[in-house]
Amino acid sequence: MGRTDEELVEACLAGEDSAFDVLLGRWEKRIRGAIHRLVGSDEEARDLCQEAFLKAYKNLRSFKQEARFSSWLYQIALNLCRDRMRRRRGKTMVSLDELEEGGAAMTVAGPTALDLLQERDMSRLVARAIEALPDEQREIIILKEYQGLTFLEIAQVLDVPISTVKTRLYRGLDQLRSRLEREGLRGTAPLPAPTS
Amino acid sequence: MMECDRLRDDRLDVLYGEADASTRRRVEEHLASCGACREELTGLKRLRQDLRAWTLPESRGPAFVAPRRASLWLPLAAGFLLALGVGLGWSGAELRYDDRGLGVRLGRPQPAFQTALAEQEARALARDQDYRREIAGLKAALASGLPEPVSGHSRDDQALLAHVAEMIKESEARQGARLETTLARFDRKEEAQRRYDLARIAAGLSYLDGKNGQHVARTTELMGYVLDAAHPR
Repeated sequence: MGRTDEELVEACLAGEDSAFDVLLGRWEKRIRGAIHRLVGSDEEARDLCQEAFLKAYKNLRSFKQEARFSSWLYQIALNLCRDRMRRRRGKTMVSLDELEEGGAAMTVAGPTALDLLQERDMSRLVARAIEALPDEQREIIILKEYQGLTFLEIAQVLDVPISTVKTRLYRGLDQLRSRLEREGLRGTAPLPAPTS
Repeated sequence: MMECDRLRDDRLDVLYGEADASTRRRVEEHLASCGACREELTGLKRLRQDLRAWTLPESRGPAFVAPRRASLWLPLAAGFLLALGVGLGWSGAELRYDDRGLGVRLGRPQPAFQTALAEQEARALARDQDYRREIAGLKAALASGLPEPVSGHSRDDQALLAHVAEMIKESEARQGARLETTLARFDRKEEAQRRYDLARIAAGLSYLDGKNGQHVARTTELMGYVLDAAHPR
């Protein structure tokens, strides 16, 4: 059984540099994926991911063991994404060129060309629908659906109550359902109007 | 409906697999009696499946290199390189990169003026050797025989001079004739201009005469009227 993130942080602070390598190997891909979905560009995701890990490394002493290391790391990454988005507000969030390159789905052998085209179209549709959401809903959808964070972790990352996370998620899902339905994706039943 | 709203967060917990046993039981009991919430939960499950369609392209670029805290080898290496540089500089070593490529010379260089002096001497020696070769060549040419020395104009030269003088005379004559022709042409042009001017003056005068004549005639006529008026017949 390997050491936990928090134990690795302690080891790193004690002078064991290789401990941070382990943390990096454990979280780099996921953090980078989250950033990619948030800012819409692989290149930017690389830069911001490096920046996030450097920032984490420099501020490792300020990490409080009350929260999980991953939540703290997501928080750093999310703040960097928000800064970046504020700076280039108005530009395209999701790079359609990158989506058109096919990605992992295109490299998998087996599906027919029609399947791949449909997958690509669906990928683009979903990306656009999520891109159109308000930031507060989009962040939660990405953290929940694509990063698999728990409600508690998202609440820690965003520093908001769990009920707020759930409300925003619910509204986001409702908007996504409507939008995707309009775009011709298979229909889902309408959700009741949120009360809070 | 109130129950539906109250259980909304619980349904999300169930949807994402975060519900504990009691929450799951509570939601299941509600779903058993509420078609709308059942339908909603089914719709959300489908939506979640649809959201999986958003895949990211394979990430490009090298893996991120972990940062390192400052270690001892870096300052040591820097110190070694610095010491090496200082040592080479003190010994007078020279690193050169020019048309001949990269070169390293160890040891102190000669003073610049000594190098320049040596180069100048070499150039002077080369020039001296060139002159000597040239003089030797001239001497050899003299030894092999020169044309007879010039003691005055030969017959051919006098004929040539006479021919040149003749040509000069002819040229002067041609120029004189050309000048006369030009002057004559100028004279003719002047004469034509003069005649033209005279003709214009004559025409002007005759016009004035004519005007004057008309004026006189008209004055006479007017005077006749005046006289007729003054002395009615």
